[in-house]
Amino acid sequence: MRNRSGGGWFPLFCALLALTALGLVGSNVAVIAVRGFHSLPACLTQPEVRFALGLSVKSACISTALCFLLAIPTAYTLTRSVFPGRRAAEIVLELTMSLPYIVLGLSMLILFSSPAGKWLKEAGFPVVFHQNGVILAQLIVNLPFAVRLCSAAFQGADRKLECVAGLLGASPAQQFLTVLLPLSRNALISAVILVWSRALGEFGATLMLVGVTRMKTETLPGSIYLAVSTNNLDAALASAFLLLVISALSLTAANLLGRTGKQRSRYV
Amino acid sequence: MCNRQQDEVLRLENVSVRRGTFSLNQISFSVSAGEIMAILGRTGAGKTLLLETAAGFCRPEAGRVLCLGEDVHKTPVHRRNIGYLYQDLSLFPHMTAAANIGYGLALRRLPREEIRTRVEEIAQRFGILRILNQYPGTLSGGEQQRVALARALMVQTPLLLLDEPFSALDPVTREELCCLVRDVCQEFQCAVVLVTHDFREATTLAHRIGVLLDGRLRGIVPAVELFRADWDDEARSFLGLKPNTRE
Repeated sequence: MRNRSGGGWFPLFCALLALTALGLVGSNVAVIAVRGFHSLPACLTQPEVRFALGLSVKSACISTALCFLLAIPTAYTLTRSVFPGRRAAEIVLELTMSLPYIVLGLSMLILFSSPAGKWLKEAGFPVVFHQNGVILAQLIVNLPFAVRLCSAAFQGADRKLECVAGLLGASPAQQFLTVLLPLSRNALISAVILVWSRALGEFGATLMLVGVTRMKTETLPGSIYLAVSTNNLDAALASAFLLLVISALSLTAANLLGRTGKQRSRYV
Repeated sequence: MCNRQQDEVLRLENVSVRRGTFSLNQISFSVSAGEIMAILGRTGAGKTLLLETAAGFCRPEAGRVLCLGEDVHKTPVHRRNIGYLYQDLSLFPHMTAAANIGYGLALRRLPREEIRTRVEEIAQRFGILRILNQYPGTLSGGEQQRVALARALMVQTPLLLLDEPFSALDPVTREELCCLVRDVCQEFQCAVVLVTHDFREATTLAHRIGVLLDGRLRGIVPAVELFRADWDDEARSFLGLKPNTRE
């Protein structure tokens, strides 16, 4: 092993600690990969696992779409406008990112059990113990994260280009659509992938808001929880393996897009 | 094309701007249609800040900036009718050279065919016809400069602000582009404010030249009188002239 800053005991010490960290994380991944892979074929035939996979993918897709529908304008406002209370808004968003998701779930449960929540249920949009709640929990949990990713993407784009577009006659909406959005495209696509895979793995807030009911509100993480509760380790590992594969694929896609973005920016 | 030969396009009235510890103090001048004015100054003299203030990107602490009689700060950016060429050119990296040049026309909802014809016309004049389908990242510095100039001139704004537009070019290309810009500006009758530290560029291109040092405009003279005018000692030192002899 060679160290760019020179030799000595310190790089070796750090490398040993890095190996320990890798071992800790890697052993868990290895357990899921090896044992889950064996359990997968049998479990995939079970309707519960297929339902959980379907609900997870469907809810993650819807919540991610809703998330970015809100996150992109929010990030645009936070990065491109000056208004009183902007820092306070940023703090509120950051605070919810650092909160345990079970706390967010609890607050949502209280909110949607209130008269307003009951009114929503009567209006045909039940949330508590309903699949709508899965989407909503994923949305609330991921929204601050998506806003942060979009803000970083917008901050990375050269503002001067928007000024140039403005002087050439582009209205703020045209500047956004023709300059800012295309320039942030790769960063936004990787953000979508990351948020989608986080939505797929969301558990804490979902558990509080909708619980885990077989074939009703059972997502893949919920399926793992139920399988372990009923001592069905094979089913739990198979669901975990599915989540691992999806996460690995989305991470690879996000990294590939990031690399494409860097290669492109090298030319400009 | 407009006929405002002597019409005033840009007016700065006692403009003072502060950015950090640096400030521009009491800047006043005006530029008419068809006139090219150069602002000469050292690096850090406040040239770019002056242009950004004229474009309305920096709000003055005092004074006002009028473009065609209207306060630029009261006009939305996209209605200011100002062309601006940044020193780093700021071409849109995700658009081809043709799309960059035609961007302003596309925003004005001109028919696609007309945009193509006009882009090709100006590209022909700037000698960049063959690179129209290329992205800025694949162009040389000189080609990028031509594309940026063509884009700024394409929309025929009454005011064009140029921030060291030829700094990255070799002397021959610089001379060639100077002539081209002068001709096109005369033809379009647009007022031009050009900031530079290059005396030759300023004298070749401009009708009038101002000297900006340490945030203060030391005077504005006709280009032919640049080295004959009665400057203060600091300006004389900058221009490479002997200090004034006081009797």
